[in-house]
Amino acid sequence: MTFKVRLALVALIVLFMFILHNSFWLWSLDDRVPLLFGFMPFAFSFYVGYAVLAVIAMKVIITLAWPEPPADLFQPAGDKRPAEK
Amino acid sequence: MISTLGIVVIALYFSVLIGIGIYGARVSLKTREDYFLAGRGLGSIAVFMALFASNITAFTIIGHAGFSYEVGYGAYGYVIGWSIFITPFTFYLVGYRSWLLGKRYGYATQPQVFGGIFNSKLVALLFLVLLLYYTLPYLVVSIIGGSLAFTTITDGLVPYWLSSLIIISISLIYTIPAGLRGTVWTDIFQGTLFLGVAMLLLAAVAQALGGFSIITERIIEANPAMLQRGLSEKIAPINWFSFSFINSIAVIVFPQMFTRILAARQSSNLKRVSLYYPLAMAGIFAVSTLLGVWGSVAVPGLSGIDSDNIVPLLIHQFLSPVWMILGLVVILAVVKSSIDSQLLSFTHLVTDDLLPLLKRVSSNQAVFWGRILLVVFAVAAYYIALVRPAAILSIAAFAFSGFSVMLPVMIGALYWPRANKHGACAALIFPAVMLHLWYLGILPEWTTFGFMPVFPAFILAIATLVIVSYLTAPPSAEQREKTFDIFNRVFKYEDKETGENKQLKNG
Repeated sequence: MTFKVRLALVALIVLFMFILHNSFWLWSLDDRVPLLFGFMPFAFSFYVGYAVLAVIAMKVIITLAWPEPPADLFQPAGDKRPAEK
Repeated sequence: MISTLGIVVIALYFSVLIGIGIYGARVSLKTREDYFLAGRGLGSIAVFMALFASNITAFTIIGHAGFSYEVGYGAYGYVIGWSIFITPFTFYLVGYRSWLLGKRYGYATQPQVFGGIFNSKLVALLFLVLLLYYTLPYLVVSIIGGSLAFTTITDGLVPYWLSSLIIISISLIYTIPAGLRGTVWTDIFQGTLFLGVAMLLLAAVAQALGGFSIITERIIEANPAMLQRGLSEKIAPINWFSFSFINSIAVIVFPQMFTRILAARQSSNLKRVSLYYPLAMAGIFAVSTLLGVWGSVAVPGLSGIDSDNIVPLLIHQFLSPVWMILGLVVILAVVKSSIDSQLLSFTHLVTDDLLPLLKRVSSNQAVFWGRILLVVFAVAAYYIALVRPAAILSIAAFAFSGFSVMLPVMIGALYWPRANKHGACAALIFPAVMLHLWYLGILPEWTTFGFMPVFPAFILAIATLVIVSYLTAPPSAEQREKTFDIFNRVFKYEDKETGENKQLKNG
């Protein structure tokens, strides 16, 4: 998979999370969905779930498009010493 | 009156902070990079707690609870919902690439990173001026909010002027000797403290009110509108959408947050921080949301600015005096962990980016000047917090929006090789001017098409960057290579490896 495709997938994830946050059509469920654990109404529990989803989304983004830098990247130009491990 | 136990707890708390300051000063080297960036050696927990604690202000505990008191459970998603994802995402989008450049070229602040990318002193100067311009009111408002909360929770025993003095003085005790290292170590201590105490406080209030389920049933009976987002005008969909462009995307632009990203030791530290951050922010805001909403039935009848007192009132009316002391320590921890980082980053910007324009400053001299300027700015901030000039407070009202509309230039600089210094300058100036015209009431409201001003200003920033960059000469190949060769090496590195792996697999 090329990096551009990975970046496109990342953009799709961001778009999905944005739409999910702005999903006003779900607001009608606020007084219909039962309380989670007896004290969390939908307007609240939705964002508890959203937080878990955010961690999963970040994990996917890290796997897809967050490579580690090459070991010699931070050596000054012309420095031929072996990179620190 | 505060009991003996209270005095002991507060004395212990201050002793830990002073001890951290003294120890931090002993291990710190007297170099610019060590004082302002902790030698770029912060690990995952240090970066995470530094970002988390710096981003939690008096608003989180006091203001957000007051907002939830008025709006209901919807306040949770409105204020923090989009932030839970997009703020850690900006650590990747902007933070990682800036960190790479910082490591490679020694950049330590936004003016250095973005002035360096565009090879433009004007871009660097605009970043410097705008960041100082928006940070000062934000710092002053943090001091005012924290001092008011301190005075409220001590029942007026500690007057406002003394609260401000205590908060600023204690912050200076560890920041002056130990620089960023001191603030980060205290962030770890204070962040753990307020996260732990906040959770315990929630459980104690719930127990005092009859339990989680009982208090929720009372809300459903007394005020069912608290459950329905569609019934609150304050969080109407158009405001909800616009708000996505204010606090959540502004975080990475705050100089105190940006600097802490640059101070990370390795890329893997930033990755871990991006995974911890959503749960921590969701957790701390969940506490203040629930306390605020529960308060609407436990202490009904508050309105306007009085509703911001709901957490101190809940503690006062339903918990023992010991909780008052813990509450006091939490307020101090929350307020100071953000004020110290703002003060330090303000000083860092002046020492690293403004002072060298006036005189030659060696690395050792930078530390000396940093310490002097910390005191000067702390005194100035204290004075402004006492006088509370209307002009400063009116800027604070849109400081977050001001930070947000700088983000398109940062993203453009890091992702679009065609972006040039003319586009960057125009995209920094034009939206900032428009924000002032909208927020100061010079332009009529209809010109924002019903959105909060930050949204059209954000779109203007993108459009200005693109149009002006295309209308003017592109950056030189040498200038582009300086930045994008590094990104090409990092981000195509894995593709190359994958290709090699494929070759290996195919024999």
